[in-house]
Amino acid sequence: MKKIQFDNLQETLYNETLDNGLDVYILPKRGFSKTFVTFTTKYGSIDRTFIPRGKNEEVTVPDGIAHFLEHKMFEKEDGDVFQKFSVNGASANAFTSFTRTAYLFSATDKLYDNTEILLDFVQEPYFTEKTVDKEKGIIAQEITMYDDQPDWRLYFGTIENMFHEHPVKIDIAGTVASIQDITADHLYECYETFYHPSNMVLFAVGAVDPAEMMAFIKKNQDAKTFDEPAEIIRSFPTEADTAAKTDRNLVMDVSKPKLNIGMKCNKTDIEGEEMLIQELSAGLVLDILFGRSSEFFTESYNEGLIDESFSYDFTMENGFGFAMVGSDTDQPVELETAIRKTIRDAVENWPITDVELNRMRKKKIGQFMRSLNSPEFIANQFTRYTFNNMNLFDVIPTFEKLTLENLKDAFNTFCDESGHTVYSIVPAVKAK
Amino acid sequence: MFKKVGLQEGVTLYIRKSEQFKTVNFSVKWKTALDEKKAAHRAVLANVLEDSNGRYQTQTEFRNALDELYGTVLYTDAGKRAETHIVSLSAECVNDEYISEGGVLDEVLSLIQTVIFDPNIKDGKFDDTVVTREKRSVKDRIRSVYDDKTRYAQKRMLELLRPDSAASASSYGTEKDVEALTSADLFAAYESMINDDEIDIYVVGDIDENEMTEKIKSLFTFNPRTVQNRQPVVQQTAKQTTDIKHVLEKQDMKQGKLHLGFSTPVTFGHPDYAKMQVTNGVFGGFAHSKLFMNVREKESMAYYASSSYSSHYGLLYVMAGIDAELEEKAVNLIKEQLSELQAGEITDLEIEQTQALLANGIKSAFDSARGQIEVFDQYKELDENFTADSIISGWEAVTKEDIRKMASEITLEIVYLLSGKGAN
Repeated sequence: MKKIQFDNLQETLYNETLDNGLDVYILPKRGFSKTFVTFTTKYGSIDRTFIPRGKNEEVTVPDGIAHFLEHKMFEKEDGDVFQKFSVNGASANAFTSFTRTAYLFSATDKLYDNTEILLDFVQEPYFTEKTVDKEKGIIAQEITMYDDQPDWRLYFGTIENMFHEHPVKIDIAGTVASIQDITADHLYECYETFYHPSNMVLFAVGAVDPAEMMAFIKKNQDAKTFDEPAEIIRSFPTEADTAAKTDRNLVMDVSKPKLNIGMKCNKTDIEGEEMLIQELSAGLVLDILFGRSSEFFTESYNEGLIDESFSYDFTMENGFGFAMVGSDTDQPVELETAIRKTIRDAVENWPITDVELNRMRKKKIGQFMRSLNSPEFIANQFTRYTFNNMNLFDVIPTFEKLTLENLKDAFNTFCDESGHTVYSIVPAVKAK
Repeated sequence: MFKKVGLQEGVTLYIRKSEQFKTVNFSVKWKTALDEKKAAHRAVLANVLEDSNGRYQTQTEFRNALDELYGTVLYTDAGKRAETHIVSLSAECVNDEYISEGGVLDEVLSLIQTVIFDPNIKDGKFDDTVVTREKRSVKDRIRSVYDDKTRYAQKRMLELLRPDSAASASSYGTEKDVEALTSADLFAAYESMINDDEIDIYVVGDIDENEMTEKIKSLFTFNPRTVQNRQPVVQQTAKQTTDIKHVLEKQDMKQGKLHLGFSTPVTFGHPDYAKMQVTNGVFGGFAHSKLFMNVREKESMAYYASSSYSSHYGLLYVMAGIDAELEEKAVNLIKEQLSELQAGEITDLEIEQTQALLANGIKSAFDSARGQIEVFDQYKELDENFTADSIISGWEAVTKEDIRKMASEITLEIVYLLSGKGAN
């Protein structure tokens, strides 16, 4: 077991890669009562075209399958896994993102019983046509729930606008129609391909003894038989740098229009330190250009172009990335102009100096320190970083060494207008 | 868990040294009797105080200063609990030991002092531009509930179930009251909040308790005030009829938002309070509960189906997202689950699971500084010396018979459905 100390943060991380390939990380936190454990596979909604384990031909599976699989992992021949966690006082959950599926629990008691339940339920698939069909009604309601959420529609509509081919544009849960095609065989095929321990990370953080926990996990894994690790061959279409659509809107029953600008990142085939520098820099640039102390924010808020719903964000994974800026607004045209102008002005006359960089650097370091109070943040983010060959604990040293050049480079990956798009939600009464 | 220090009559400091966190958390809470008009004034006031102050007269200057203090977070909010309206000012900064330059903590304390005692006032009034802008923001916030269909359905259900009462009042007031607010009203609201409200101040972090107490004593110079005992919630007894209100409302949407409102005489602080919490847990509080297992898992009718116990108002809610065509079936299924509880059809397993998860919930809440503050602020009204263990033993003493009795004190009063059914 490796022991990695972060003196400035007063944290110690323990790590070991087990014989079956599973990467285990343990971070004890003093003073905490709970332990938060996540068990995550590097498999999300974008992994829809791949060569199944043991086969030679590429397949494309129905949309929404990674999320469907996540739901179905909880049902076993002897009942529902939530029941077992509940007996041991653990609050369990799972989520599927574009690139990951995570299973997790949080418990203040019976850590090992709960860890065993987590490892065993994720490593013992049980799918039948009957249970698969039964789930379709539940997931259809989940999809319908999201269909009625204007902010989700705005977010996803913007992504659909940006991408021509890349599967990030497909809703994570699929559609009510696409999930009807999912069968138990599909689930097994995806499970066998993506749930091998060598494609997974286990992270435990909180009230945990590292040596005992590691020994417990090892014993559990050693008692199981797995196939040899095999390289996973995923296939992604070529994606142009331009936005697929420039402008679309959707009529919904909302009180105020919503507008969102998406800016596609044109440098996404990166990982490790390069990715860390790019994404931290991009976040800093957005903070400087659009944050609460920016000229844009002050003017737009004073003029009523934006309200408390205003937000901005930079997202990236290997293969896709984008910045978004949006708000509820009574003046969508003016807001669009103001956001575009801020970007254009920065292209023509770079406004960021060391003064802004140093201030935002401090802000970001403080924000990161604050996040380290949260076991949930540490486990989820650490796993995401690991899958992209980055280390969460490099964040502060990286912030400390970022230069104006790094910021400019990151800005240049999404400032080109051909990659920009606008999506809006229009109230029904005001619809044309 | 918190050390209590009386600063003045009606002004109390609750302080806790903890090495658990990398930050220091502050919270100042102003409490007064809930009244929707007053709530409107205070919601705008909270925004105005967050915007700027005598030292930093624009939002930009103020936010730059906070950024320089390693991204110190400082925000205000308005909320309610039972018949009390609460304005809170919260701040969180990185502990000095984690950063190269010291002095952040002292600077943050001084900033909080500025926000409270040195507002952005000229000639006895707040800046009109700021007031107009923040009135607009609060109105937008009130209006935006419409866009969140679950929150909107819950709000409508409460308005129909308990009109003109604290249970359905918004902690931000109404759009109309916000609109009518003048600069003079706002100044009066500020004066009354600073001088008349009951004030609780919380500090949690790796601090020296004595040193911090002295600093707060010298910086936060509140006058003494007489705190009247605020009225406890008067529970409107359920009408002893079998009349269940049934309301269907339409919006252009896909899912049916089914919200059921039940009443119970058991409120926060009632001797049976712990029993009712366990009863709600078995009914619909968790993923092992009857509602989840039947409405979702057995019938595949919903993605979410749960209940929550609003103990301060003696109410219990059930919410589920369903296909609106299946409303009757869903309502019957929900009623059946309650009937099972009333008939004592409860397994030992269901009770054990619920007790274990309630215990996990409160222990986990103490793993965040905010959680410690919020749980303590609420439970101290019952017993200032409570511990997680004392609360947990209350739940563990609950029996099947207790749950059966509690369930028979839960009365369905309203079925509300928001859906696009028949809408064009």
